[in-house]
Amino acid sequence: MTTTQTGEEAAATQPPHRDRAPRRTGNSLNRQTRSGWLFVTPMLVLLGLFLVLPILMALWVSVSDWSGRGSPFSGNVGFVGPDNYQPLLSEPGLSRQDFMLSLRNTFYYVVGVVPLQTVLALLLAVIVNQRFLKGRTFFRTAFYFPSVVSSVAISLVFLYLFTGTGAVNQALDAVGINGPTWFADSRGLIHLLGNSLGLWNIDSPPSALADHQVLGLSWWDWLAGPSVALSAIMMQVVWTTAGTFMLMFLAALQDLPADVEEAAMVDGATKSNVFRYVTVPHLRPTILLVVTLGVIGTWQVFDQMYVMTQGGPAKTTLTPAYLSYQAAFNQQHWGQGAAIAFLLFALILVLTSAQRWFLRDKDEWARKQALRRQRRRQREEAAA
Amino acid sequence: MRTRATRKSLLLATALAGGLALTACGGGGFDSSGGSGGGDGEGSSADGPVTLNMLIASSGDAETQAVQDAVKKWGDESGNTVKVTVASDMNQELAQGFAGGNPPDVFYLDASQFANYASNGSLYAYGDQVDNVDDFYESLRSTFTFDDQLQCVPKDVSTIALEINTDSWKKAGLTDADIPTDWDSLASVAEKLTTGDQVGLAIGPGIDRAGAFVVENGGWWLNEDNTEGAAEDPSVLDALQYVQDNLTKGSFAMSSDLDTGWGGEAFGTGKAAMTIEGNWIKGAMTSDYPDVKYTVAPMPEGPAGKGTLLFTQCWGVAAQSKAQSQAVDLVNFLTTDEQQLAFSDAFGVMPSRQSAAGDYESKYPEDKAFIEGADYGHGPITAPGMDQVIADLNSKLEDFKGADLASVVKSFDTNADAALGQ
Amino acid sequence: MSIDSSTVQTGYEGTAMTKVAGSPPKGSGQALHTSSGARKVVVYGLLLFFALLYLYPFVVQLVTAFKTNPDAVAHPLTLVPRPFTGKALDTLFANDFALWFTNSVVVAVCVTVGRVFFDSLAGYALARLRFPGRSAVFNAVIAVMAVPGVVLLIPKFLVLNYLSMYNTYPALIVPLIADAAGVFIMKQFFESIPASVEEAARIDGASTFRIFWSVVLPMSKPALITLTILSFQASWNELGHMIIATNNPDLYTLTRGVAGLTSGSLGAGNQFPIKMAAALLMTIPVAMVFVVFQRFFTQGANAGAEKG
Repeated sequence: MTTTQTGEEAAATQPPHRDRAPRRTGNSLNRQTRSGWLFVTPMLVLLGLFLVLPILMALWVSVSDWSGRGSPFSGNVGFVGPDNYQPLLSEPGLSRQDFMLSLRNTFYYVVGVVPLQTVLALLLAVIVNQRFLKGRTFFRTAFYFPSVVSSVAISLVFLYLFTGTGAVNQALDAVGINGPTWFADSRGLIHLLGNSLGLWNIDSPPSALADHQVLGLSWWDWLAGPSVALSAIMMQVVWTTAGTFMLMFLAALQDLPADVEEAAMVDGATKSNVFRYVTVPHLRPTILLVVTLGVIGTWQVFDQMYVMTQGGPAKTTLTPAYLSYQAAFNQQHWGQGAAIAFLLFALILVLTSAQRWFLRDKDEWARKQALRRQRRRQREEAAA
Repeated sequence: MRTRATRKSLLLATALAGGLALTACGGGGFDSSGGSGGGDGEGSSADGPVTLNMLIASSGDAETQAVQDAVKKWGDESGNTVKVTVASDMNQELAQGFAGGNPPDVFYLDASQFANYASNGSLYAYGDQVDNVDDFYESLRSTFTFDDQLQCVPKDVSTIALEINTDSWKKAGLTDADIPTDWDSLASVAEKLTTGDQVGLAIGPGIDRAGAFVVENGGWWLNEDNTEGAAEDPSVLDALQYVQDNLTKGSFAMSSDLDTGWGGEAFGTGKAAMTIEGNWIKGAMTSDYPDVKYTVAPMPEGPAGKGTLLFTQCWGVAAQSKAQSQAVDLVNFLTTDEQQLAFSDAFGVMPSRQSAAGDYESKYPEDKAFIEGADYGHGPITAPGMDQVIADLNSKLEDFKGADLASVVKSFDTNADAALGQ
Repeated sequence: MSIDSSTVQTGYEGTAMTKVAGSPPKGSGQALHTSSGARKVVVYGLLLFFALLYLYPFVVQLVTAFKTNPDAVAHPLTLVPRPFTGKALDTLFANDFALWFTNSVVVAVCVTVGRVFFDSLAGYALARLRFPGRSAVFNAVIAVMAVPGVVLLIPKFLVLNYLSMYNTYPALIVPLIADAAGVFIMKQFFESIPASVEEAARIDGASTFRIFWSVVLPMSKPALITLTILSFQASWNELGHMIIATNNPDLYTLTRGVAGLTSGSLGAGNQFPIKMAAALLMTIPVAMVFVVFQRFFTQGANAGAEKG
């Protein structure tokens, strides 16, 4: 979504061309109109056919009773209004339970993956950016490489690494930890944590939590945390995507004017202070961008579920994207599948707009803070 | 600026799409001849030699090859050709075929999916055109009956039984006399067979294995008319409790907790001394674990007597097929005693015709436990909409040991009532 | 992460990469950064740890591809296959693997060529040509860029059916050419090229397409190469679209075919060497494109930066 922002700002701040270029004849303008439309038409047709038209068709399917036979636009397919949406949101039953489970799982997934991948990416970028380092290009390439490899290939490798007697558990075994059977383990991390802290017994949940339901799930279920299986997928995704974001941080770090750092160092600031008060504020826009892109990407997680877990164990890796696919392509509930897709779409739009609004203010605030800090420092210097 | 720009671009996008939709009209790729399916009487018949598309979910090369050989034989006799496609994800590919208006003419259809396809008219009900149709096991015929019509003929039948690793058996000091005949003796031999790196009995996940104990306890997941859930009945709950108790003791284990994909893998790799699997385990044992010696015993009897589960698939014919009569002819050819026994030889399935059972048993005496199960086994749940309910039940039983059984069956009944009430 | 989500990200990877490669070296601060030995040890220690974490899975993939299944299960950590066997590769090639590979190459090449051409065409028009409706078009491009990819799985299937394209090669390729992020990247790049060059050509009376093709494009090598890498990688790795665009095994690409290895087609057993061999073989082409082009890419981007 920041994408949008950047684009618009670019369009808005860009001086109109006639200020730069000499005035053209009317003939040239005509020619430009013709070739302009000629140039954009192929892409517009493609985008219209495979982005806009599909959305309109699916919008119809999501409010129809099409059962997957024949054309969804034939006369015997009827309009059913919100009938495909209601079982997901307001009617008690299996559909709502599954949808809520998928939202719960993905919520924990997003909350886990986004901060972790941001921190890891920043850490990698700072390491690779050390100027004394030999072979920086090599390491940069190594860390970025998983991002370009197919998620299918990486999923296969991680399935193997995370089997019960696999490499990860053998490595854990070497340091005395008895690893779980990762992809078969549906226990939630919060459940496990509470169990080991003595807050509750995981096998007999406190009835205060287990007996009260909200939207088809008990509080106990809502508060499960990501399952062990989902955590393994989260580790994989953090590992894979951190490289991409590392490049963004690297670009920002290299844009950091060296003289600012120098000035700060000359002032006698310690390295960690320079990082905290100079580098991090400078990186703030990049951090915001990385977080936004992370949120958009993580809510859509699909490939790993398709390849590795198919939503299991015990539905703890079910996500809205996979649920939508499964409803339509495996169970022939096309209307409901499309409805889930639109709900996910709406959710992502709301989240990103909220974030954008929130972050835009933050951005300005950060700039003001930095200015204020600078002025204060100048005052202090002057006083000294 | 933002909102105006968005509105403008949306307008443009809509106009563009609208224009495209208009120009594309009429060229719609959906098969408009779908109509109301589930036809009665004579099927559509294309003139002259036809090419039939067949979609199968193969267990391996042996099965693929056997099916290809069989359809080639039929093709040579009838002058038609059959193109066999092996699905990697049967449900999805079949659903896409129907939704895309190009379903296969003939296809494997699993019992769990049957009702969904039958209820939306995807199937051509050809049961009345099949030779000697009463010869198929009654429980199988009723599995594939919808609206009082046999829609789809059973391809074969499988049952589950108890496989025992004979080496482990001897090592634990057990003899033929110890082969378990009831729940108590099963629990006690499982305990004796459990060692440091081997559990007594491995069970595959879901109710397709543990459900056998429910049948042996006189219970079933639905009431007799398949109109509502009946899992809260003690007959169901006690059977599940029996399994859970032994899982807790550690002499039973779920195959997934042993880091294996199914009971056969746990059994073949020696992580379990016994498992409950169907006759399909034979092929896997021969090809993947040829050194493991084992014997097959019937499921031990429960409090309500003998019981096991039946599994079956049928030969579906698409209502949209343009060569239905040829497709039915092909199915007739594939379900003769002779052809069913040929499939048995090739990949170990058991015939769905009772008349072939005798031949099968004399040829494969070691399969006695499996073939006998066909007489008393319980068929799968096939009511429409139940596949999701069962999937939910299975997912809740994935952590069988830790599951709160009372609430699991309660939610099953609630969901089943909702699905069946529709 | 889903591929379509990465289309959005892709835009940024691109800009980020150009920036990384394109920013002038900053040696001025060097003197101040002569670091203490302890710090070097910490940084090198961390580097070693992460390098191991990032490279080990690929090493495992390579080694396990030549193990037997029992060896792979019993010794997942050892780096020497004992015995060494090529059986996994044989099985793969007995299993349509060559067909999947060919399909993937066809799809990736067509999509890449199509995207690079149409993206730059549209990007040029939006950056340089003045025509009524330009800003509306640009806003439309920005708007569709915000559509999350995975919600399009069902919709795209419906459209492919509607257009009678389902189960054809074009169904695998054409929808993937539709790429708003690429248009955006190219537009941004073209705006950074000085207009004076085109003016000269225009005064000489060259047609708009000619100016675009023979004057502007040759100057745009860095952006074109960036877009090529991104497009190739995105289409080679695309899974979701390949699932919904066909159910004909003759049209399966690597992602679809190899993903099928985990369900069904290998039977229920865990044939790890086969899976690792498949993962290895599908990684090699992307790795090659990545390594080969990265050199080019750095040079090209630097050249562009100097000119700018």
